[in-house]
Amino acid sequence: MLEFIWHARGGQGAFTAARCLGAAAALSAGQHALAFPTFGPERRGAPMRAFAKISSAPIGDRSASSSAQFVLFLDQTLFSDGFQEELAEGGIALVNAKEPSGFADARVLTLDADGISSAILGRPFPNTAFLGAIPALTEAVSIQDIEHGIRATMPPKLADKNVEVAKAAYEAMQANGLSDQPSRRCSHRSHANTADPDGIHDPLVSALRPDDGWTPHLREAFSARPADFASSTAFEAGYLTTPNAGWRSLRPVIDPDACTLCMSCYLYCPDGTIVKERDAAGDVVSLAVDLAFCKGCGVCAKVCPADCIQMVPEGGDAA
Amino acid sequence: MALNARTMPDEELFYGHKACPGCGASLAVRAALKVLGPNAVAALPAGCMSAVGFNFPQLAFGNNAMITPFASTAAVLSGIEAGLRSQGIKPDGCTVVGFAGDGGTADIGLQALSGAIDRNDDILYICYDNEAYMNTGIQKSGLTPYGASTTTTPAGPAHPGSFTQKKQLFQIVAAHGIPYAATASVGYMADFLKKLERARDMSGTRFIHVMAPCPVGWGFPSADTVDVAKEIVDTGLWFLAEYEGPGVCGKPGGKFRLTRNPKSFAPIEPYLRRQKRYSADADTDLELIEAARDAQWEHMREAWV
Repeated sequence: MLEFIWHARGGQGAFTAARCLGAAAALSAGQHALAFPTFGPERRGAPMRAFAKISSAPIGDRSASSSAQFVLFLDQTLFSDGFQEELAEGGIALVNAKEPSGFADARVLTLDADGISSAILGRPFPNTAFLGAIPALTEAVSIQDIEHGIRATMPPKLADKNVEVAKAAYEAMQANGLSDQPSRRCSHRSHANTADPDGIHDPLVSALRPDDGWTPHLREAFSARPADFASSTAFEAGYLTTPNAGWRSLRPVIDPDACTLCMSCYLYCPDGTIVKERDAAGDVVSLAVDLAFCKGCGVCAKVCPADCIQMVPEGGDAA
Repeated sequence: MALNARTMPDEELFYGHKACPGCGASLAVRAALKVLGPNAVAALPAGCMSAVGFNFPQLAFGNNAMITPFASTAAVLSGIEAGLRSQGIKPDGCTVVGFAGDGGTADIGLQALSGAIDRNDDILYICYDNEAYMNTGIQKSGLTPYGASTTTTPAGPAHPGSFTQKKQLFQIVAAHGIPYAATASVGYMADFLKKLERARDMSGTRFIHVMAPCPVGWGFPSADTVDVAKEIVDTGLWFLAEYEGPGVCGKPGGKFRLTRNPKSFAPIEPYLRRQKRYSADADTDLELIEAARDAQWEHMREAWV
């Protein structure tokens, strides 16, 4: 039995892809298949998992896979060294990444699924690109099976484009296949973050303890508090371990010259990611965006009366 | 001192949460905790805000906060308040605050809320209203408005969505003679902050019902949340009001007051048409929605001004 573990964020279509893969295997490749997601607190953007199982015999085990031949990361920020525990012997981890650099493990392959899908769909939907990559990595399903699976599960208009995405990814994966992947050490932390070229808010810095000054306006106020009261309750409140990276396709850019410091954006940001920057006297001199937690919703740009916030594509050069 | 964007504290007490981009409810929680401060103790039942706030080890609340059973937000608030007090560890400026959704308040948690108001426990209950059970995938609640499509009242050839009007939750709460109740919208933040401050500085049971649009469930772009939250007020489909109980205002039966009483309303059609949940509503449905609004305002203007 071939098993697939899909790591993604809610809204990236991992379950849709797992189901397509199952349909490809069951309806076209003459195999048995199962596909199902995990149900957790997933939101658009929250980490979730989906599973697909393919076998030539009926599949009795309906539980989640603990290890798999294919561990797929539709969002690079979800990738961590923990993948090794999920990877079955001889298995492959496939990561959605623009550049293959930064992964030193021969078992880790990369696919620019966002780039491929953006070029065809206009927006990054990595799921069907991953579908296309799978037949380049296993003989269990062919790219024709994948096409069949997509057409069987999506409305015709969507299916055409997504078949195109899958085929482009298939070709990219073949051209950039197993043997071509250079051997690299998995170095998550040094990976350049396109959302933050300056690295000020490198979202891959781990373990954002309350006292590490990562979001100082948030953290400092709490370090002394357990002694104050209610020490028996869960003081680990405000314990942030990972940034909400990878949610955005657009990010806000504030034009400091046009900004009147009216702070409408600050007031209405649902995530509180507009930060007041103060001078030595404590006066607010400018507003900045904490890109490690901004989800790119665009509320700030919409409420700005001076129209000085632009939403620019992530990874673009407009900023 | 009236709080605004300039004067509110920099500390973010609801940060790094996993709510969808443009979530109105998370904006309501963030704003409320800014006003209530780090000594507030929060309790949240099953619902979006507990699901997005407590993703161990990612704990987005800077306050002490806990999850309650679905039906017992207000009962847990009562218990937290009594527990802190009896142990002598309730600090100054500690508001025991609940954040429950529309379903968790108007349907499932209504009994516990009623009991807490009956006992006049010293708690603040905030209902963030996104007009359906969004956490579980957009099922109709008692506060889903007429004509809105949900997964349990789907639009079809016979009907565009929910058959029922919103329960009059604010009036239900006020009918208990609660010391303070208010309605608000995340689109009118100054008004919301003022009401939060008022509620914070009072004792006894307080209740705020805040409209918090949901881009996913209502079907509009995430950038439009605040705009939609304004428009629902401007169209008169939501109202901003306050109620003071007899013990506070001295008047038998208490006193209602509209905090916003516009001379005319913005047209409802653009507001409804920008949301997918109303996309199947025919013109006759719009007339029904408008007529219900007018009837409600006629009553409110007569009795509450």
